Amino acid sequence: MSLAQRVLLTWVFTLVFLIMLVVKLDGKVQWNWFLIFLPVWVFDGILIIMLAIKMAGRCKPGYDPRNGSPDLRLRAWYLTAMLLKLGFCLTLCAKLERLADIKLTFVCIPLWTMLLGALIELGLNIFPERREA
Amino acid sequence: MLFSLRELVQWLGFATFELFLHLAAILVFSVLVALRVDVSTLKLSWWLVFVPLFAADGLSTYFTAIVSIRLYQENEKRLAVLRLLWVLTVLSLKLVCEVLLCQKLAEQEQARDLWFGLIVSPLFILLQFLMIRACRVN
Repeated sequence: MSLAQRVLLTWVFTLVFLIMLVVKLDGKVQWNWFLIFLPVWVFDGILIIMLAIKMAGRCKPGYDPRNGSPDLRLRAWYLTAMLLKLGFCLTLCAKLERLADIKLTFVCIPLWTMLLGALIELGLNIFPERREA
Repeated sequence: MLFSLRELVQWLGFATFELFLHLAAILVFSVLVALRVDVSTLKLSWWLVFVPLFAADGLSTYFTAIVSIRLYQENEKRLAVLRLLWVLTVLSLKLVCEVLLCQKLAEQEQARDLWFGLIVSPLFILLQFLMIRACRVN
């Protein structure tokens, strides 16, 4: 997928999600919160399928791991981050729909784990020489 | 994930350190929101909850000013002005959205006329700018 296609995909889903969120928050529609988060489910689903296909591609016979693609550890982290984000969105929707009486702190735990992981990953990119040491 | 870090830096126009700063601010902000909602005895004001986001915007502006001055001194005048304009536009749109949201949450009775469509409108404008920039980067 080219950069333009990826940007367009992200842009469209973000725009649709923002519009649906605003319409719901302003009380114009009485839709279910799970329906409001539909663009998030679809976008995350596409990302998880893409990641799974790329990870499965490494298991093919004759695959050369030195072809420059990110290693399996990084792909596994991406997949974990996506699942954590999905977990956060699902529990948030359940809380907003009052399906489960859970504290916001517990809802946010997957989000915090994901953000901490992303911060570590970014930090390692800012100080690459320490990664090699 | 969908974008490499290099692509994100090119598209958003922020340095890796600035992305780190904003991500850290979101983490602290989400912790404060959870505390504000769950611990009613804490009595945190919404303006205090939004402080990490405001601080990240301020630090990012400072960082951008320093980088632009250095670029200007190294005779990269066009790049310096373009970078400064872009980052200031993005940060000011983000700041307007944050301030409006904070006002809505802090003064729910007085800010009844402040509807969410208006609060999120800077983000819609920002999305258009990001799309235009994506075409340029591509």
